[in-house]
Amino acid sequence: MADVSRRDPNIVMRLARLGSMHQSRLSFMRILTRRLARENWRFERAAFDIDSTGVGHAIYTAHGPDRSYSLIAYAHDLPPEKRSDRVIAEAWDATFTLFDGVPTAEDIERLSHNIPVQEAGRVSETELSVSRANRSVRLWEHVVNVLAEGRQPSYEKIAAVGYLMRTTAVYGSGKLGAADREMIADRPEFRAPFQVEMLSVYLTRWFVVDLVQHMAKARAALSGTQAAELDAGIARSIGIGNSTGLGMAPFLLNHPRLFNNWITAREDAIQAVRNVQWARDEEIAQFHDILLRNIQLIESWQSQHPVQMEKLAVLGKDIALVKGYLSRTDLSMKQPWDALYSWSEEALSLEGQEWIASLILEPYGALVDKFAKAMASDDEPVALIAGATQIGSLRAVLEDVYRWAIDTDWTVPTNMARAWYISEEKQEPRLGQRFEEPIEEYEQPLAPGRDAAVLYQALTHWPDEVEVADFLLENPEHRHTLRRIQVAGSSPYAEIRDNTISNSMLPIDMLRCKLSFFGATKFDPRSDRWVRICMYGNAPLPYELSQANADFWVFPSSTETTA
Amino acid sequence: MSHSLNEIETMSKRAARGAGLPWGLAEEAGKTTRWLSAYGFPGVNLLVDLLEMHDALPILDVSPVSLEAETWSAPIGRMSPLIANASVSDCAARLLSRGTITLENVDLPLLAVPSIGAVASTLGVSVVVEWQNARLVADGSAICVEGDPKALEARHAAKMVFSIPAELKHRQEPMLRARLSDRSWSKLSAFAHRTYAPATEESRQLGAGSSRNDND
Repeated sequence: MADVSRRDPNIVMRLARLGSMHQSRLSFMRILTRRLARENWRFERAAFDIDSTGVGHAIYTAHGPDRSYSLIAYAHDLPPEKRSDRVIAEAWDATFTLFDGVPTAEDIERLSHNIPVQEAGRVSETELSVSRANRSVRLWEHVVNVLAEGRQPSYEKIAAVGYLMRTTAVYGSGKLGAADREMIADRPEFRAPFQVEMLSVYLTRWFVVDLVQHMAKARAALSGTQAAELDAGIARSIGIGNSTGLGMAPFLLNHPRLFNNWITAREDAIQAVRNVQWARDEEIAQFHDILLRNIQLIESWQSQHPVQMEKLAVLGKDIALVKGYLSRTDLSMKQPWDALYSWSEEALSLEGQEWIASLILEPYGALVDKFAKAMASDDEPVALIAGATQIGSLRAVLEDVYRWAIDTDWTVPTNMARAWYISEEKQEPRLGQRFEEPIEEYEQPLAPGRDAAVLYQALTHWPDEVEVADFLLENPEHRHTLRRIQVAGSSPYAEIRDNTISNSMLPIDMLRCKLSFFGATKFDPRSDRWVRICMYGNAPLPYELSQANADFWVFPSSTETTA
Repeated sequence: MSHSLNEIETMSKRAARGAGLPWGLAEEAGKTTRWLSAYGFPGVNLLVDLLEMHDALPILDVSPVSLEAETWSAPIGRMSPLIANASVSDCAARLLSRGTITLENVDLPLLAVPSIGAVASTLGVSVVVEWQNARLVADGSAICVEGDPKALEARHAAKMVFSIPAELKHRQEPMLRARLSDRSWSKLSAFAHRTYAPATEESRQLGAGSSRNDND
């Protein structure tokens, strides 16, 4: 049988498929927990100075082989009317920074004036991230209440929400004055993407479990009783939520090379596993085990959003089809994973296909995990233009990568219905109606398909042998797009091959794609541009982490109830 | 108060866009101030000065007429250093074959310099740029500054010459933070502000898209 090649970017880079992606071995959370366990990182709660009303600060330090990092958490007493996940919020239940090293008392004092106000504060190069979180009001109250009464919280209630707090923004890489990624990118622990943010959230989860216990004890003390200690299994089932809005969506468009490297790593992994000639018995057994555990996880995935409810219903049917396929197929056949994946392309929805594509990687850590090394990008987002490139070869890339865009009729209003812009408040990306709101003059360059088609048109009368430097001198308005096309020409998975400004585009597809690479589960859209997810559900708490549980925690063990 | 280089790059890009530059040149304006700031030059101040000086000037008026000409010059006799910088960068291969690119009448010439770092990386040879009594050499990871420091911040250069090869007599490495005056940062922010759409209650609700209660 011929070698299976990588999947065609024209298939992979469509929004509907990107918006159906699932976490995998290459997810950033799993890359982090594997490293922390492998390198035997040590974790300590260095301070917990929080009063009975839940106000104060705590410090959690992770000690690695060469360096230490500390999560500094500030806990607040937030009135309900101020609780908002929106980026325009001005107060939160808790606020955090990941500090480079171990903070001094002066650092704690300095940051106490800046972290609680988030965007209104300033931080320095010793701070690697700035973040905040809000409580899930109903679950928080339930857990505090029953623990204070000496009982354990209900698994069902926890499973229905999945987390006690959800982060509403995690800022890194230079934002608000924090350290640029370039300052830390050469540290092995931060080579893979978003490891600062993933470490921050991992330590945040520990803080949240400690805080809920602390508040239960405080409440019990008021009535002179003794609170129960939260059961370790229940604690493990609690993840950290994340509520993500539009602000994250343009990231994939603004970092085409980085995005290419993420997708390429996963596609390389899928290709490598599809090319496995014969599966060993233990690999087949592991696949079956993970499959069953993964089905449990999916069964606990809930959403009230019509788009996701439909996708979940279809995924449920896909699971039944996969079970049927596996009952009549012997995986000890030649190239079993290619056969399974190829069958899924014919038989399953996009959600089901991407689920299988991630799932077949699970037994193959030795084959797959090495691709994580190539997921970072040291190239600047603003790439150098190769000015000596001839118009002819630029045209060829346009016709290859942007064929769909060249063939789109951009005079049809629905194809141009939206425009991305930056709002005056908080300077965050928003999406508006081009023909109904006064926003077009503020449009951000986040419609690469439309812009490529305009450039293609502008090139019509330019001879093939002219160099792009000369074209750009006369047409500087195409400089952004031409730069982008040169990146797309050398990075096959850099570009979303879909219309990002049409009336039917769903921003949650971009959010889902990015969050799946983080390793998120239980995507729960709140609208077409807002999604809640769960991170680190079922993961060992830092003090429980070992090589034995560092990798497959995302899948609930078959005897355990899931969060 | 120090700033991260990413903050400087982002704000500079938005400011340049706010002053009317196309996105692609605005991106290079961001890279330019980042590069200058990393080497301790007042990149942000210079960019603010340029945006004020060239506000509303048509781009083609301050661009080279031709990249094939022996000497590059702009139609109105004043060249934008941002466009000069971008054009030199686009002509890296031509610099290799010609050995020299000469420009006439460039405003705020230091803003035209950062391309030498990228060009040197691309070509694998050190690049030198000279004007009046100023001389800078770059090899892609460090620079060497020679000549009169005052000339570096000249408002105008009658003649600027980029050439290869060159030698770094000493090495100045880039820094990863920069200190800016509040005044230049707020001027830069004012230009950037022109790119933000004024908020309306409708856009607040629809634009970000979650009106559901978060007290759940």
